[in-house]
Amino acid sequence: RFLPQLPQLSPYDVNLVLRENEFVYNFPVDGVIRSYETNQLGSNSPCEDSRTEASLLHRNGFICGIFDGHAGAACGQVVSKRLLRYVSAATLPRQVLREQMKQGCSSQSFLKCHNDNVDFVSEIKPIYEASFLKYIKQLTETPQRDVSSELVHAFLQLDEGLSQEALSSSDVRTMSVALSGAVACLVHMEGLQLHVASTGDCGAVLGVLDPQTQQWQPKKLNIEHNADNMTEVRRILAEHPKEEQETVIRNGRLLSQLAPLRAFGDFRYKWSLDIMQQKVLPMFGEQAMAPNYYTPPYLTARPDVQQHELGPNDKFLVIASDGLWDFLSPSEVVSLVGEHINSKKILEPMRLPEGDTTLQQISEQLVERKAGLTRKPVDQNAATHLIRHALGATDYGIEHSKISYYLTLPKDVVRLYRDDITITVIYFNSEHIAQLHSEAEQSGVTAPVA
Amino acid sequence: AADLSEELAGQLPTKSRVVICGGGITGASVAYHLGLSGWGGDTLLVEQDRVGGELPWTACGLAGRFEPSYTELKLAEYSIDLIKRLAESGLPTGWRPVGSLNLARSWDRMTAFNRMKSQALAWGMRCEILSPEQCGQHCELLSLDGIQGGLWIPEDGVCDPQLVCQAYMTEAQRLGVRIVEHCAIKKIHSEHGKVRSVETTAGDVECEYFVNCTGFWAREVGTLSKPVVKVPLKAVEHHYLHTKPIEGLSPDTPFVRDFDGRIFFRECEGHILAGGFEREAKMVYEDGVIPLSQTARQHPPDWDHFHELLDALLLRVPSFRGATLDRLTNSLQVFSPDCKWILGEAPEIQNYYVAAGNKTMGVSASGGIGRVLTDLITKGSTYLDLHILDISRFLGLHNNRKFLRDRCKEAPGKHFEINYPFEEFQTGRNLRMSPIYPQLKEAGAVFGQSMGYERPNYFDQQDKQDEFGLPRFRIAQTRTFGKPPWFDHVASEYRACRERIGIADYSSFTKYDFWSKGNEVVDLLQYLCSNDVDVAVGSIIHTGMQNPNGGYENDCSLARLSERHYMMIAPTIQQTRSMCWIRKHMPNHLRAKVNVADVTSMYTAICILGPYSRILLSELTDTDLTPKSFPFFTYKELDVGLADGIRVLNITHTGELGYVLYIPNEYALHVYSRLYQAGQKFNIQHAGYYATRALRIEKFYAFWGQDLDTFTTPLECGRSWRVKFNKPIDFIGRNALLKQREEGVKRMYVQLLLNDHDHEVDMWCWGGEPIYRDGVYVGMTTTTGYGYTFEKQVCLGFVRNFDEEGRELAVTNEYVLSGHYEVEVAGVRFEAKVNLHSPNLPTKFPDREREAYHATRDKPDQADLLSFGGLTTVTGTGTPTDGQ
Repeated sequence: RFLPQLPQLSPYDVNLVLRENEFVYNFPVDGVIRSYETNQLGSNSPCEDSRTEASLLHRNGFICGIFDGHAGAACGQVVSKRLLRYVSAATLPRQVLREQMKQGCSSQSFLKCHNDNVDFVSEIKPIYEASFLKYIKQLTETPQRDVSSELVHAFLQLDEGLSQEALSSSDVRTMSVALSGAVACLVHMEGLQLHVASTGDCGAVLGVLDPQTQQWQPKKLNIEHNADNMTEVRRILAEHPKEEQETVIRNGRLLSQLAPLRAFGDFRYKWSLDIMQQKVLPMFGEQAMAPNYYTPPYLTARPDVQQHELGPNDKFLVIASDGLWDFLSPSEVVSLVGEHINSKKILEPMRLPEGDTTLQQISEQLVERKAGLTRKPVDQNAATHLIRHALGATDYGIEHSKISYYLTLPKDVVRLYRDDITITVIYFNSEHIAQLHSEAEQSGVTAPVA
Repeated sequence: AADLSEELAGQLPTKSRVVICGGGITGASVAYHLGLSGWGGDTLLVEQDRVGGELPWTACGLAGRFEPSYTELKLAEYSIDLIKRLAESGLPTGWRPVGSLNLARSWDRMTAFNRMKSQALAWGMRCEILSPEQCGQHCELLSLDGIQGGLWIPEDGVCDPQLVCQAYMTEAQRLGVRIVEHCAIKKIHSEHGKVRSVETTAGDVECEYFVNCTGFWAREVGTLSKPVVKVPLKAVEHHYLHTKPIEGLSPDTPFVRDFDGRIFFRECEGHILAGGFEREAKMVYEDGVIPLSQTARQHPPDWDHFHELLDALLLRVPSFRGATLDRLTNSLQVFSPDCKWILGEAPEIQNYYVAAGNKTMGVSASGGIGRVLTDLITKGSTYLDLHILDISRFLGLHNNRKFLRDRCKEAPGKHFEINYPFEEFQTGRNLRMSPIYPQLKEAGAVFGQSMGYERPNYFDQQDKQDEFGLPRFRIAQTRTFGKPPWFDHVASEYRACRERIGIADYSSFTKYDFWSKGNEVVDLLQYLCSNDVDVAVGSIIHTGMQNPNGGYENDCSLARLSERHYMMIAPTIQQTRSMCWIRKHMPNHLRAKVNVADVTSMYTAICILGPYSRILLSELTDTDLTPKSFPFFTYKELDVGLADGIRVLNITHTGELGYVLYIPNEYALHVYSRLYQAGQKFNIQHAGYYATRALRIEKFYAFWGQDLDTFTTPLECGRSWRVKFNKPIDFIGRNALLKQREEGVKRMYVQLLLNDHDHEVDMWCWGGEPIYRDGVYVGMTTTTGYGYTFEKQVCLGFVRNFDEEGRELAVTNEYVLSGHYEVEVAGVRFEAKVNLHSPNLPTKFPDREREAYHATRDKPDQADLLSFGGLTTVTGTGTPTDGQ
């Protein structure tokens, strides 16, 4: 199965490819998050993954998401931008939201995106703005819920919006958004409260440093919605008549077509038979309808939400599309990033201990650093470090030719070997977290509530 | 700030004969020496910050004389004596004569020490070779683990560079030098190629001389004039380690250098000051912009980088393990691309002097540099030959920032490396290459670099391709003081040149064209050269360009291409230098009329040499090459192969029959291919620089820069027959040479053949070996090599004649020939046979022309043996007369 005669890339070329989409953001003020690093390596052309990170306005908070599109990049791109706007509005105290509305806000009034320099084209922007205003108007009319419920609600409302826009507008673009799909993993943080809302098969894992053993422990913050997830399979089967038991999930896929069992868009698995007959089939032909399509909806955008309170041992959070998880397990990912953090310390200038130091002590300290230097990673960026390991890891270390092989696969087959990979690594500021904890204890509250 | 500059404006004179820029130790020394020579009132020193403002902790304060060449050693020696004198006169200098202890971990290092000792005794420097135990006695702190021995220099010492700088300043001020602080130079203006004035932050000063002593900033200050003065320097990190005071540390601890560990240390006010020269230096300010303040010169220390040196230190002195750290400072230093000081008059602007690149050795350098620069400014010459330190040893390429970045990684480490013969830099390579370079590489060339030019040193067929079958770039290595690894390769090339035909690349040679409309070019060359250049068109003259003292500023061949057009061939290292000399000494009335162009980069020079070279060249050209029509020492423009306009010189610079072809670059590959192809039937072979060098040493040919320098006169080196005293023009150096002819020479160039030297086991001569006559030191060898025909070590060098009081007497042929000679090679003396003139080597291919020619001759008054007699030959009235 090894393809012969692929051109061999030089290490320099490999670095160029792997680092093309690198991004690092260091938060200028002390907060729960110190910095985050992201990277993306496409397989599909164009890449169907998207990602967005943003600071929440009007309060201290951060949201970010990874979106893995399928059947085209359209849905992923749209959800990537819009979902964060919905969530940032939904988690805002209603009072503030109302004030903002009075002042005439837009969908981007509640967050500040980092590393985001594209916007929607002028034809569809007003459509999306209208949907958004409708959404927040509805929010102001309902009482505040907890964050988890707001997240679920925002996901569903956005998905519903995608459907409405496709059906009511004549723009072919809104229809292509609705017919492509995207899974999403969204992280919402305010204070010490961390929420992970996940729809589909992206994954989020927390890197926890065991203070006793100094070992890295992974903590999964979501369960992927795919055929390996028995609870999920049972849920779907329960929603459909017995006669369809054999056809709803086949070959590990929904209606033997779709690998993730929840997703945004993909209205070919959601819309009623009527809508399919009237709107979709005339435009896209009979094959647009999945076989054995009897009792829609088969698919939902409803996320599972997990809540976690950050502690001083939580050092970082990795969210990534399934392209990464195909290669590496959560525990591998956590130990790779953990080691990477340790080795990055070596890149900093040496700090001498306070007080008198003998030359012997310095020499010993330097020997230790030197040992670390040999393990010094090629990449500064942890996300790139993970991608390099995903593609190149062997039993005896990183194999350059293996990475080169993966990067030079011909366009028509590359997707069989690797999927789009998108990774965001968020680093927590343990000192700040510890401080927040002690403040909370002093004020008698066990944990600050968002 | 406005007030300050107004205040300064008052202090600043509007006129000063000399302006020195830079109040560091070098500037201070120059100011002091100018004061000493009575120019104090004419000298102004400006410093943008405060004088002597170098921060503490940034120097080791060694006043030592362990230097690789006579010039550097003498400069350092003078500096140390000066510091001693200042200390004796009561000025604080921190001077303490603790001696320096130099350690060797390898036998090659010991050989280097032994060579140093041989030289040092001859040069009047006291030193001792030590056993490991004796090293331990000089410094009890040392671990003798791995130590093979040492070299002890008792008169070296340590001082406080800041105090020394202060002492110079104080003395300079006393001698009338004006010093203005907080005044920065903004521009240096020149007029007619000479310094005219400087523009400072406190006003303009008219001046005749400008001295750039800005050390760390010298390259940047160089850019403040038009044209830019190129001072190739690059800043690198350099660490000094200071411990806290150590109890019981003897203040008499010597300055210790463990060369193979790359470290040194000394006692300093009760604590240890240590440092070293790492293998690969760390670059700073890679963008080339160096901030102006002294504080910016301090970088945070890089412990990881210092680690290797720290461990080497702790290995050598285990007791330092318990010492407490005070600080590690990272005080940036600048290095020149060849790790030597940069001195002298800038090639770009006359009366603009530079003293920079003192590379951590400021104290040892400053005194001597101050003295020689003062001599150059006030007298136009000095007491030492400075050409190896002269700023004109560089080309523009050396000042390229990327070149400096590449090369200067390597430069600091050279400091503590064994000075093997023919050492090469590994960086900054493949820069200048002749058009036939790819062919030479393919043919197995192993390269050496001269003025950035890659030149084959020898050819080695083994391992000449890389894993892809492509020719490998290989750098020549000797790395021994004994029989070199390339011995057999050179032997085979040598034989080819003597018995068949060799082909060599001479492209690096300096080539100038001189021409004028009228007869001015002849007038100019007659004035500059000591030989008669007004010869028949088509002749080649070998001539020196003498300085007023009769010494060689340049040694070149001039081919008269036409009535008013000459081509000059000079040594590679003369490329910048000879242009400076010619420009500076061009009489004003000729300046506008004579064109001098450096055409080095326009021609590829291929030399074919050996008995079959004439037949080979005849095959490729229509011109008759018989001696009758194209005799020795003449020039013709030939068609070769399908190309035309090839300047062919019937000389080889090695004494073999042969031709040097100066080929316009675009024809080079064609001509080379034709020659090489046609030469196959004669079994033509590539010859490298080492082979041609062996040929010329055996034939007793002198080379400028190796045998000859600015202090050697033609009379001393058997070339008085090339000086035409009765030319109708008072050429430069004539009076001095006439005087010398009257008084007799004080030294004479000889060739020595070593007896009983086994080239397989004994250490070789590599130049700089002392020569003993009847057991008395009389001189030094210059170039040496193995004579493949004599099968002996051949040394060229100079002998002198000292009487009991050490006075120099005239050296006569009788004196030279009556002595019994020995040459001391790394401590062992070998008996030697002396020659005063070029020997005739036994050959299967006798050639009357060349047999008659002796490059070096014994009798100064001997008539020309070879009057290819210019006119007669070329006009066809006779064959060259040979004097036999």
